Amino acid sequence: MIIEDLSVRFGAFTAVDGVTLPIPPGSAVGLVGESGSGKSTLARAVAGLVPYTGRIEGARRVQMVFQDPYASLDPRMTVGASIGEGLRGLGRDARRREVARLLDLVALPADLAGRYPRELSGGQRQRVAIARALGARPELLIADEITSALDVSVQGAVLNLVRTLRAELGLSMLFISHNLAVVRYVCDVIAVMREGRLVETGPAEEVVAEPRHDYTRALLAAVPRLTGERG
Amino acid sequence: MAGMTRRRGAYALRRLVRFAVALGVLMVASFAMIHLIPGDPVRASLGPAAPYELVEARRAALGLDQPLPAQFLGYVGGVLTGEFGTSFLTGERVGDVIAARLPTTLTLALAATAVALLVAVPLGMWAGVRTENGRRRGTEAAFTSVTGTAVAVPEFLYSIALVAVFAIGLGWFPPAGRAGPESYVLPVVALAIGPAAMIARMCRVETLRVLGTEYVRLARAKRLPSARLYVRHVLPGTLTATLTVCGLLLTALIAGSVIVEYVFAWPGLGQRIVESITQKDYPVAQGVILVYGVIVLTVNLLIDLALGALDPTSRLKE
Amino acid sequence: MMRTPSAWIGVSLVALMVVLAVIGPPIWGEAAERIDPGAVLQGASAAHPLGTDNLGRDLLARVLVAGRLSLALALLATLAGGLAGVVLGALPSVLPRRAARLVTATVNTLVAFPGLLLAMFIAVIAGLGARGAVLGIAAAVAPGVARLTQTLAASVAGRDYVAAARLLGVPRPLILVRHVLPNIAEPLILNLAQAMGGALLGLAGMSFLGLGVQPPAYDWGRLLFDGFSRIYVTPVVALGPAVAVALAGIGFNLLGDALARAAARTRAAGAAPAGAAPAPADPGEPDPDAVLEVRDLTVAFPGGLTPVRGVSLTLRPGEIVGLVGESGSGKSLTAAAIGGLVPYPGVVRAGALRLCGRDARTMPDRELGTALAMVFQDPMASLNPALRVGGQLAEVATVHLGASRAEAARRAVDRLGHVRIPDPERRARQHPHELSGGMRQRAVIAMGLMGTPRLIVADEPTTALDVTVQRQILTLLREVTAETGAATLFISHDIAVVGELCDRVVVMYAGRVVEELPVAELAGGAAHPYTRALVASVPGMDTDRSRPLAGIPGRPPAPGGIGPGCAFAPRCPVATSRCTAERPPLAPYAPEPGASTAHKVACWEAAA
Repeated sequence: MIIEDLSVRFGAFTAVDGVTLPIPPGSAVGLVGESGSGKSTLARAVAGLVPYTGRIEGARRVQMVFQDPYASLDPRMTVGASIGEGLRGLGRDARRREVARLLDLVALPADLAGRYPRELSGGQRQRVAIARALGARPELLIADEITSALDVSVQGAVLNLVRTLRAELGLSMLFISHNLAVVRYVCDVIAVMREGRLVETGPAEEVVAEPRHDYTRALLAAVPRLTGERG
Repeated sequence: MAGMTRRRGAYALRRLVRFAVALGVLMVASFAMIHLIPGDPVRASLGPAAPYELVEARRAALGLDQPLPAQFLGYVGGVLTGEFGTSFLTGERVGDVIAARLPTTLTLALAATAVALLVAVPLGMWAGVRTENGRRRGTEAAFTSVTGTAVAVPEFLYSIALVAVFAIGLGWFPPAGRAGPESYVLPVVALAIGPAAMIARMCRVETLRVLGTEYVRLARAKRLPSARLYVRHVLPGTLTATLTVCGLLLTALIAGSVIVEYVFAWPGLGQRIVESITQKDYPVAQGVILVYGVIVLTVNLLIDLALGALDPTSRLKE
Repeated sequence: MMRTPSAWIGVSLVALMVVLAVIGPPIWGEAAERIDPGAVLQGASAAHPLGTDNLGRDLLARVLVAGRLSLALALLATLAGGLAGVVLGALPSVLPRRAARLVTATVNTLVAFPGLLLAMFIAVIAGLGARGAVLGIAAAVAPGVARLTQTLAASVAGRDYVAAARLLGVPRPLILVRHVLPNIAEPLILNLAQAMGGALLGLAGMSFLGLGVQPPAYDWGRLLFDGFSRIYVTPVVALGPAVAVALAGIGFNLLGDALARAAARTRAAGAAPAGAAPAPADPGEPDPDAVLEVRDLTVAFPGGLTPVRGVSLTLRPGEIVGLVGESGSGKSLTAAAIGGLVPYPGVVRAGALRLCGRDARTMPDRELGTALAMVFQDPMASLNPALRVGGQLAEVATVHLGASRAEAARRAVDRLGHVRIPDPERRARQHPHELSGGMRQRAVIAMGLMGTPRLIVADEPTTALDVTVQRQILTLLREVTAETGAATLFISHDIAVVGELCDRVVVMYAGRVVEELPVAELAGGAAHPYTRALVASVPGMDTDRSRPLAGIPGRPPAPGGIGPGCAFAPRCPVATSRCTAERPPLAPYAPEPGASTAHKVACWEAAA
C-alpha cells in the first residue's frame, strides 16, 4: 500500500504536509518524530479518523492500537465484548471461540473475556486492544506509541508480542514512536517526521548508521545510551 | 506578542458578534411572546365584558391590526428609541416604568453580589486550605453541609424568615419598602445567602485544585511563607472559575431579586413584572422581560471579556 | 454513599417526602377540605396547630396533602425538561454541521438565562396556572441538561474506544447506543436528581408569586402565598409550607451531593491509622562528607500502605545519583520526603534526614529554601501560569535572602541568562505560557540557582520533554552540578537516561533499594535480577534486532500485597524458597576480591 501526498489541515494550521510513504506488504514502517511533528495525526488520517487530502491506496482494512490503554477500552464493556465488537457474521459460540483464539494470540488467558478493563493492568489492556484490532483481520495495523504509557518492565514484553505477531501473521504495520531505539528494534523501514513533513526515509539500519538529514542526526545524537560516553 | 494581541482582539470580536446575534434573537422572542399567547391577548387582558370598541382601540394602539412584518419593524424601532408601549393597567409609558425602576433593582443586585463575594471568597479559600488532602474531615463535613443547606433554601424562604424574625419579631429593620440604608439590609441578606454559599463551595473546590498543582508544590519547595503562598500563588489560580461563577450568579441574583422585591415590596422591576403577569398587562411584561434579557446577555458578555483579558491561555482556544 | 451524616439526612428527607406524597391525600385529604365557618383565619391552637385559612380549613392538613401535588409537578417538570434537554443535547451529534452549530449556540445562550426568567416568559404565553408553571420550569431545566448531555457526549465521542469502534465498522447509531449513552447515563441521571430539587423550589417560587398553581388547587408555594399575606398578623400560618419547602429543597440537594460524591469516589483508602512502621534505626553520627544523608526512610499512608520502606541514601558534593524504578516503586515519594513535600495523610519517618550534616526536618525555611532546589516532571505545570517568570524566581531572593525587589529582579535575569535562556530580560517579563517546555524547565532550574543550592532533587525532569530538549536539560544539569558543587538526586524511570547522566545508580523496587552500583557497572555488571532484566528489557540503539527482548513476567506488586520475602521473588527467574520467605538485606557485593566497594545488592542469589 502507499500513502500519497497526504495532508491534514486544522483551520489555518497544517499538521501533515504532503507526506508520501509506501508501506510494502508484510513490512513494518516506523514513524519517528518529536511532539508536534504530526506523526499521530498522520496515523489517524491513514485510519480514516481525521479528514485529509491526498490518496491512500491499497489499504482497505486498517486497524489501530492507541497510546493510552486506559482510554482505549470502553469501561462498561467486558474484554470479550470489546474484542467481539469487530467480529461480525459469527454465531455466539463461534464468536466466543474466536475471542478465545484472539486472547491466546496475544498471550492472555481465555477467562479474561469476562473481566472488565478496570481489573486489568496496563500491559494486559494493551494486549486486549491488539487482540481487538487483529479480530478485524487488518491489512494494515497502526500502532500509535503503544508502549509509552506502560511501565518499563512491561514494555519489552509488548514489543516482543508485536514482533511475534508480525512474523506469524505477516502483518503490515505502521509503528509510531518518539523513541528511535524502539522503532529501530521493531521496524524494517524508518521514516523521520518533522513539522508535518517526512525529512528522511530508509531501511532501519541504514537510517541509524548513516543518517542523511541533519535532523535525523540530531535525533540520533540525543538518544540516551546506557553505555554511552559521558559528554 | 503581536499575535497574542491579535488573537485577543479576534476573541473579543467573536464575543461581540455572538452578543449581537443573541440580542437579535431576544428581540424576536420578546416580540413573539405576545403573538404566541393563545387567542386575543387584548381580549384576554380586558376580559370578556370589555366593549368591542375598547378592545379594537387597544389593538390599534399595540399595532396588532397591522401585518406581522410591519409590527416587528415597528417594535424594533420602538425599542431602539426607548418606546416600549403603554401599560394596559395604568396607562404609564413602559419606558418610564423601566427607567424609574431599573436602578433600584440593579442597586439591590449589585449590593448582594458584593456582599456574597466578600464573605464567600475568603471563607471558601479558608475551608480549602484547612481541608486539603482530606484532612480535618469534621471541618469539611460541617462546611459542606452548612453551605449545601444554605444553597438549597430558596430566596423567598430567607425573605419570609428574615421578615418574620427581624422585622416583625424584633422590629430591628423595616419589613418592606425602600427608605433609608437600613431598609437595604434584609433584602440584600436574603438575596446574598444562597449565592454566597454557592461561591464558597466553588471557591473551596478551586482552592483544593490549585493546591494540588505542581506549581504550588514547587512554591512549597521554595519554602515561601504561607501568607505569600496563598495570596500570590493560590488565589490567582482560583479567579477564573470564581469569575465564571460570578456571571452565572449575577444573572441568578437578578432572577432572585424578582422574588425578594415581591416579598419586601421593593420598588424595582421584579415587583412590577409579577404584577404585570398576573394582571395580564402584556406591554409591561414584554418590556421588563426584554430588559432582564438584555441585562443577562450584557453580564455574560462582560464576564467573557474579563476572562479573555485575565487568562488568555485557556479561554482563547475554545 | 451513606458514610456521611448529610447523606443520611438527604436520603431520609427525600424518603419522607415520597411517603408523604403517597399517604398524605388519603389520610388528611378530608380534613384539608373541611370548611369550618366558625374557625376562619385562626392562629395556632390545639385543634389547628398551624392555624386555619380564610374558610377555616386546617393548615397542617393542607400542608401534608399539598406534598403530593408539589412533588408530582416537580417530577413532571424535571422529566419533561430532562427529556427535552437530552434530545436537544444529542441532536448536534446527528445533525449536519451547520444545524448542529445552531443548536449548540442556542443552548449556550439559553443556559445563561436564569430559570425563573425563562419560566416567567413561558408563563406569560401559557397563562397562569400549574400547566404554565410546569412548562416554564421544564423550559428552565432543559438548557442545563442539554449542555451537560452535549459536553458529556462530546467527551465520550473523543475517546479512543469510540475511535476503535469506528475502525471496526460499528455504525454510528450503534456507537451512540452501545458506547456513548451508557457512559454518560450515570452523570446525567445524577444531574436530573439534582434538577428535581431545583424544579421543586422553582415551582414553589412560581406559586408563591401567584404565577403557578391556582385555587382551588394548592401546592406548598400556593399555601405560602396565602400565608404570606397574613404574616404580619399571624406569622405561624407561613411556617408549615415554608418548612415543607425548605426540607424538600435541602433533602434533594443533600441527596444529590451524596450521589455525586459516591459517583466520584474512587476506591480510596479509609481513614485507618497509618501503618505502624518499625522504629527507625539509630541515626548515628552525621557523615561529615555527605550533602544528603538519609537513613531508614519510611513513608506510610493510612490503611497499612508503606510505599517507601527503609530507604537509605548518601550523596556527596558534586555527585549525580540516579534513583531508578517503575511507577509505584516509591522513588518519587522518596524525593518528596527529602523535600518535606509528602502530602497529607502520608507519614514520614527516618532515622536520619540530614542536609549538610543538619536535620532537614528542623531546618529553618530560609536556609532550606536556598540550599535545596527541586525540579519536577512537567515544566508546563510547575510554573504558576498567572505570574511572570522573573517574579517567580525573584521571590526566592526577596523572601529568603532579604534582597530588595530591584536586586532580586536583576539576579533573576542573571540566573535566567546563566541557564542559557536567550534574551533573559524579555523572558523574565513574560508569563510561563509564552515559553517553550525546555525553556520553562531551564527557568525552574534557574529558580534553584537563586540561592546557593547544596542539593538538587530532580524528579523525572525530562520525561515530558522531547529527546533533543532532554539532551539539553541533561547537559545543563551536569554543568550546574559541577559548577555549584551541589549533589544531584536524579529520579527517573528511564534507565538509559540515568545510565548516561549519573555517577551512581540506586535501583528501587516496591519501596526498597534493591541495588546500588557505580554507573560503569550498570550495563554489564548489575547483580540483581531485576536490574539486569530492566537493562535488558529496554531496547538500545545497538540491541540485536533478531533476538527478543528480555521481558519481566507479571507486574509490580501493589503496595499492600508484599510478602515477607523479596518483593521481586514472584517475577524472578532465579528465586528460591528462601527468597519468598526471608527478605535479603542490602549488602556489599564483590564478585571478586578487590572490586569496587560501592556496589551493594539485596539478593540471596547474587551474593558471591
